[in-house]
Amino acid sequence: MFICVNSTGETMFSYFRLKSVWVKMEAPPVTVMPVTGGTINMMEYLLQGSVLDQALESLLHRLRGLCDNMEPESFTDHELVYLLKGQQGNPFILRARRSLSHPTAPWHLRYLGQPEVGDKSRHALVRNCVDVAASHSLPEFLNEMGFRMDHEFVANGHIFRKGVMKVVVSKLSRILVPGNTENTERLSLSYLVELSVLAPAGQDTVSEDMRSFAEQLKPLVHLEKIDPSKQRH
Amino acid sequence: MYDIFVYFCLFLLQHREEKQLEASVESLASRVAHVKNALHSFIYKLENEYERLAWPSVLDNFALLSGQLNTINKLLKNEKTPSFRNQVIIPLLLSPDRDEDLAKLTEQRVPVFSHEIVPDYLRTKPDPEVEEQEKQLSTEAARIGPEVAQKQIQALNKVCSNLLEKLNNPRDDRDTETSSLRQNKPSFNPADTNALVGAVAFGKGLSKCRPPGPVAPTHPGQGPMMSGGPTLQQVTIGGGSGQQAGMGGPGAPQQQGQPGKMPSSIKTNIKSASGSMHPYTRSLPQQ
Repeated sequence: MFICVNSTGETMFSYFRLKSVWVKMEAPPVTVMPVTGGTINMMEYLLQGSVLDQALESLLHRLRGLCDNMEPESFTDHELVYLLKGQQGNPFILRARRSLSHPTAPWHLRYLGQPEVGDKSRHALVRNCVDVAASHSLPEFLNEMGFRMDHEFVANGHIFRKGVMKVVVSKLSRILVPGNTENTERLSLSYLVELSVLAPAGQDTVSEDMRSFAEQLKPLVHLEKIDPSKQRH
Repeated sequence: MYDIFVYFCLFLLQHREEKQLEASVESLASRVAHVKNALHSFIYKLENEYERLAWPSVLDNFALLSGQLNTINKLLKNEKTPSFRNQVIIPLLLSPDRDEDLAKLTEQRVPVFSHEIVPDYLRTKPDPEVEEQEKQLSTEAARIGPEVAQKQIQALNKVCSNLLEKLNNPRDDRDTETSSLRQNKPSFNPADTNALVGAVAFGKGLSKCRPPGPVAPTHPGQGPMMSGGPTLQQVTIGGGSGQQAGMGGPGAPQQQGQPGKMPSSIKTNIKSASGSMHPYTRSLPQQ
């Protein structure tokens, strides 16, 4: 068996013999690797669902009862998704988000990795997540770096919090004229409901808590792990 | 009432019925004490921890109280329990002085057994308003006559028995009717869920092939980012990468008139590459 190691000493690939053939294994996902240095990898645990317009009020009431007692916060955000095409063909994606209701607030830049396919029994979608704040010159900066905007949309809705869990109920609208956020058209007659937690890598109890919270929202909305790559079709 | 029962009944006990009375009073007193404690903790929670209270726990508290009241009712209906109506409580001595024993027994709620507290604690008649309402109801009942009353009783009985039947029958009988009711009012649509998730994850449904105009700083026709199977989205990646070089000047006029035709030409370019771009083949054992 031999192991290919990259410059920082992390195991990248290992090969072992299976019968008469060499089999290549990739490095295990981040959640089982020890943190060797630098910043802690934050993972986003996600469950998604949707609710029709007519059931929105009852969902908001229920969330107000179940979540932390704070004034329900509403938001209007404009999100732009930037792509950087590399040589290999897997483009690098960054999501830039700014608040339309607080125009002076900084932009929010987020990287979301591929969903981890490790554990089928895990109840939530887990992916690597890096969040930074950025100034208002972010779009020009990304353009100069070589990113190109792929698509943009406007999301507005409500956000609730329960401990570390965050529930976002949002209505997505597509932008008809690029750059003009006033002229929007709703994408569907439903609101998107997302339950997410940002936690350091390796904490699997988080998904249990998320699942029990999701149980309390049934039958109004079914929050489940939806694999984005299956939605392509 | 808990403290009053215990204090006076001790004087009346002599015979076996009295022993029975004492036993039932004891158990009633303990049940009432449970209710009192539950109420006390619930009120405390409401007053002090209301920021952290969520309705599931409030519902739990109410359920607990209702359960305890139910047990009290059952106890009162129990045949072993003598009829409390036959007992009469007569105050033998009223004094305006503080009575330490009484105060201790009642946890400082009744320190003095005087003329003021007797009308409240030993009351057996209902409040005047309640008495008025009862009188009205009984005159109403007398007025409508026995046949009408009988009919009303029968209607009520029928409604109750229908309801009980529905509740007692096994669920599968009910499910067929209720599922059809439920279908009329679903609160979410799975197709919408998929559409929204697709839009957020990779912009499905959001305008992709933007006509390249002089003002558009973005690249039209760039496909989505992650590699996937050989779908139309994947197809446009190849188209994007293939056309990238030509994006600036010469590429633009080509695309301008034909954003709709682009996908068809790209399909042929990309088909050969799509097999190797599937992410999962990398991790499968190569035999």
